[in-house]
Amino acid sequence: MGITYQIFGMRPDKLFNRLLVYGGSVVVLFYILGPFLWLVSSSFQPEQNLLDRDGSLFPTEWDFTAYRELLTGFLYDASSGIPYQARIFLRSMLNSLIVAGGVAVLSILIGSVAAYPLARMKFKGRNFLMFFILGTRLIPAIALAVPFYLMVKAVGMNDRLETLIVINLSFILPYVIWLLQAYYRSIPMELEEAARIDGCSRLGTLFRIILPLSLPGMVSTGILAFLLSWGDFFFALILTQSQSSFTSTVVASMFATDVDVKYVSIICAGVLSVIPPVSFALIFQRYIMSGLLSGAAKG
Amino acid sequence: MKNNFWPALGFLSPALLVILVTIVFPFGYAFFLSFHKWNLKYRDTPFVGFKNYSRILGSETFWEIVGTTAVFCVLSVFLIMTIGYLIALLLNEEFWGRGMLRALLLVPWAIPEVVNGILWKWLLDPSFGILNRILMKIGLIEEYHSWLNSMPSAMFSVIVAYVWTHVPLAALIILAGLQSISKEVKEAALVDGAGIFDRLILITTPLLRPVLVVVLMFETIFALKVFDIIYVLTGGGPGRATTVLGWQIYSRTFTNLAFGRGSALAMLLGLLTLIVAVLYFKYLNKEED
Repeated sequence: MGITYQIFGMRPDKLFNRLLVYGGSVVVLFYILGPFLWLVSSSFQPEQNLLDRDGSLFPTEWDFTAYRELLTGFLYDASSGIPYQARIFLRSMLNSLIVAGGVAVLSILIGSVAAYPLARMKFKGRNFLMFFILGTRLIPAIALAVPFYLMVKAVGMNDRLETLIVINLSFILPYVIWLLQAYYRSIPMELEEAARIDGCSRLGTLFRIILPLSLPGMVSTGILAFLLSWGDFFFALILTQSQSSFTSTVVASMFATDVDVKYVSIICAGVLSVIPPVSFALIFQRYIMSGLLSGAAKG
Repeated sequence: MKNNFWPALGFLSPALLVILVTIVFPFGYAFFLSFHKWNLKYRDTPFVGFKNYSRILGSETFWEIVGTTAVFCVLSVFLIMTIGYLIALLLNEEFWGRGMLRALLLVPWAIPEVVNGILWKWLLDPSFGILNRILMKIGLIEEYHSWLNSMPSAMFSVIVAYVWTHVPLAALIILAGLQSISKEVKEAALVDGAGIFDRLILITTPLLRPVLVVVLMFETIFALKVFDIIYVLTGGGPGRATTVLGWQIYSRTFTNLAFGRGSALAMLLGLLTLIVAVLYFKYLNKEED
């Protein structure tokens, strides 16, 4: 046996490993949270502090005017001097909530039924259909922008939340079907066979056996669908024209590209509009991880 | 086997109906439009064959934009893969606070790209941004720099902002891959007595190759159609410096109202995406043989 040196009760290679791991985690923590925390910290500063190059980096006095303006903006009209974006801000959050919630519910309703034959039934053309459904994800959204715009105009459905729900649904559905069929495959076949022998129909086994057992999978898929459609910007940009259907990403872009709006309002709008998706993601992180990872492992 | 076909189709029909109406039909329509001169400013919409395509392929601007898109893709995907892999390796170790750090990765991931644009626009602000303040304080720059209005910093800024939201997903998927091979790696390393870096290059990376290729494919496809962050941060500028294909299609179509030409351009982007996917799949299949 050779001599083993010890530093702080650890062998040198072990110590090196620990230093690397803890040093690395500090760097990663700073990288993933730093930019966002800076935005949050700036949002509490009065405008003149933000514009003072030599002032303190962190808030010395707290100021909530900009937040108040965004949250109560809908009570005022154009004569109040509150910018248009701020007055429609809360409405746009509500619109996003309706669209993302609608997409999540509908995609689970349609997707959970569609995933069943792909996971459990043998039929001609199954592989083709799997490939076809997943293959539609390869089409860039922007390639469909013109037809969507013309179609929606032709049937008089532009500037409507229903339209946004249907169109986001089509892009999220293939993903949902893929995740759910992977989840169904993890349910033991024997359970289903027993039910079939007892005289249960295909539809019956789906509703009595598969769906109740897949609840965690459905929740995680639904949350992913919600977050994906919350983040949609492109379709909302080309298919909405007024505050009745502007979503929060569209209003955020109106803040970002308007040079006349105060810095602090833009920053506060940024912070407020990520509160729903970020808190959603952190609260349901277990579900999201399993959803993201099962899709990756099987796909 | 045969009698299963109709029941299966029954289950699938609502989903297929949605996909047919909102993806397949519009895609066919876009294909149709791309062979017509179709501008909302004019009433006539004559069939022009491949003229839209030949005009695009013959223009220098198009190739310049393809080049810009390629630069954006290669750099951002390279950074996403490298940083994602490093973070995954870190999270594969056992240490206090690991679960917390993994959960916090979802913060950048959940931020919509448009809001991510607001975030970086503030950090990079030419007059009051923190980046300018810090660099000035430590003496790296002599005066405040207008990062988004000059080259090459505009391109680099867009890439940094884009990479920030895309790293978490890559890291999490690579981490899942690492966890599925960790036993094999440990066994192999015990036999060889290999050090950390040897293990990484000789054992872990080859075993992880299928997962890495899948992440690489998805990130390439995402990066090819980048749009949101460009819209908010640079609007394709300065000049045409950050005009990627996605941005060009949007501005062609919705400011010039040239729907035929815009559709042809969109078809070319679709084709490019398809080529990338096919190449990666071919590579993956070859690996398995």
